[in-house]
Amino acid sequence: MKQFKVIFKFELRNYLTNKIFLGVTIFLVALIGVVMFFPRAAEALGGGEDGETEGSPEAGGRPVMLLSVPSGEAGSLMGEAFAAAFGRYNVRVLEDSLEEMEAQILDGTAECALVVESLNAYDYYVNNLSMYDRNTETADEVLKQLGQMQAMVDGGLSWEEAEGILSSRVSHEVFSLGKDQIENFFYTYIMIFALYMVILLYGQMVASNVATEKSSRAMEVLITSARPVSMMFGKVLASCLAGFTQLVAVFGSAVLFFNLNKEYWGGTAAVASVFDMPPELLGYMLVFFVLGFLIYAFLYGAIGSTASKLEDINTSVMPITMLFIVAFMVVMYSLADGNVDNILMKICSFVPFTSPMAMFTRIAMSSVPFHEVLISVAILVVSVFGVGVLAARIYKVGVLLYGTTPKLGSILKAIRKE
Amino acid sequence: MRIELKDIRKSFGEKEVLKGVSLAAEGGRAFGLLGRNGAGKTTSIRILMDVFPADSGEILFEGKAIDYRSVQFGYLPEERGLYPKKKIGEQLIYFAELKGMRRSAAAKAVDGWLERLGMAEYRGKRLDTLSKGNQQKIQLVTALAHDPQIIILDEPFSGLDPVNAMLLKDVVREEIARGKIVLFSSHQMNYIEEFCDSIAIINGGQVVLSGELHEIKRNYPRNRLVVRSGQCGEIASAFGGSMEGERDCVMITLKSPEDKGQVMRRLTEGYDIDEIKVFEPSLNDIFVEYAH
Repeated sequence: MKQFKVIFKFELRNYLTNKIFLGVTIFLVALIGVVMFFPRAAEALGGGEDGETEGSPEAGGRPVMLLSVPSGEAGSLMGEAFAAAFGRYNVRVLEDSLEEMEAQILDGTAECALVVESLNAYDYYVNNLSMYDRNTETADEVLKQLGQMQAMVDGGLSWEEAEGILSSRVSHEVFSLGKDQIENFFYTYIMIFALYMVILLYGQMVASNVATEKSSRAMEVLITSARPVSMMFGKVLASCLAGFTQLVAVFGSAVLFFNLNKEYWGGTAAVASVFDMPPELLGYMLVFFVLGFLIYAFLYGAIGSTASKLEDINTSVMPITMLFIVAFMVVMYSLADGNVDNILMKICSFVPFTSPMAMFTRIAMSSVPFHEVLISVAILVVSVFGVGVLAARIYKVGVLLYGTTPKLGSILKAIRKE
Repeated sequence: MRIELKDIRKSFGEKEVLKGVSLAAEGGRAFGLLGRNGAGKTTSIRILMDVFPADSGEILFEGKAIDYRSVQFGYLPEERGLYPKKKIGEQLIYFAELKGMRRSAAAKAVDGWLERLGMAEYRGKRLDTLSKGNQQKIQLVTALAHDPQIIILDEPFSGLDPVNAMLLKDVVREEIARGKIVLFSSHQMNYIEEFCDSIAIINGGQVVLSGELHEIKRNYPRNRLVVRSGQCGEIASAFGGSMEGERDCVMITLKSPEDKGQVMRRLTEGYDIDEIKVFEPSLNDIFVEYAH
């Protein structure tokens, strides 16, 4: 135990005084600071200009939409309806020829044009059609509504009555008895991504740390000074605490910066939802983060011990990285799909190498019975200890093997023999 | 103080690396473990230090099965290396702490050893800023700082200049005088001859020769005379001798050791002799004979 403490302290001090570790942490905190203070800064810098344009929306630079409608009363009704529906445009009636209109769009004077022939047909002109261009959908809706009103008026109703019928609103309220996926989506996504990044980054760091000790031959002295189990647990737990410290620094500063700028972010529900995570979910996050981190870091450490040179690390850790990426993809796909309780996710939430992400996602996005969570955590805890001890034994055999990277079979044989 | 390896066997896969190695070393004396590359020296040392267990055999300390919690080893491996990017003082304290020392005691011991080896000024420097010889002196501190009972030095003199070699010799002599068990493994036979009272030669995983060095030498047949003279050619043809490696030397093989006096007389009476001595093999000769 004393040896473990000595190794743990030494390794942790190495992380916390490492210039790259400090640099990355400071950079991330600064980046989050810039993002979080951005609305406040934008308002402070752009406030004066807004004041000037407030009284004259036309001068505010709204894009121009050219509109051509049939003549007569129907046409003027269309003009009013389009002007109301396309509020973000400065809707101008087209007075020139079609060629002139096309020229105006091409030279950027106007953004787009609607040439309406009747209630059932129109042409839409635009320079570059954006993926997000929804103008035709709005125009369809406007013309459809006008057509319905026209039919009602023809049937004997007044324009006001027809308008009243069509503009009637239905109010509704949603009671989600389980989880609100829209609200939980962002922080689940961020947390899974953070878990993914931290495990990959620190796993690689543990592997190269072990490989460096081996290639610099410091291992010759280490292996005769300390027990492999102490070495492995000391290294991995120190990297876990270092990773956790970095996460707390980054997320802690994000929460702090958000609270300092809360009023400027008020309207952005997605951002607000991230900082409104329920405390029990934060608890689960902590549990799955620590256990998920440990199980992978042990594997990375064991693999690192089998590499003789630092250059071999990338190839050696590939199978573990692939396993982890597959787990990440399954979770991300299910998260995007909205169905986090599919059969694959259910299986993954009990398999130790995938459960940290899969079970956490299910807890955050769906309603998982408590006993299932308990079983998943129990399997994970037992696996962490099992993998930890196995990793220490691989380490003990691996660190003394120089030359070509040994095959898994020969390492397992050596372990069995011991 | 006495440590003993008894009939140690070890296989890696199909290959039997140690085939019943037995040897014993005592406190206040230096023991030389010799053998060619791949003979099984490092494996024996690792088993002795409990890096991995033997397949069979036993290790006794003071006549009882060794308890690794109460016996401290100091080890200078042949493959040198510590943390190249870390500060020297910091990593030396770490290694001493791993050996069970408290941090303050470790720091004090490390300072003492750095002072003793003339390396105190490098305490706050990174290891990779030092020359190879100085790095080796730093590594020596990891073997000695925790004041172990058993010190294992694998090729301790390789890479050291004569001044540093002298310093290391003094340190080793001091440790031997303090009653420590010092186990040398080296191919530099002159150092082994200088320090070691007893030796063991391992060849092919077996001890092929062991015992007190002076007895081993004395047990060689004393029927050869080495004669140094300006008349080597004539002596060689008269006594059936062979010219030896050294200039002006001839080796005469006697029919029996008892003829020694008579032959010496004939030589001194008949020729201009500078020196006559009974031939004793050097450790190098013994090594080549047994480890070949």
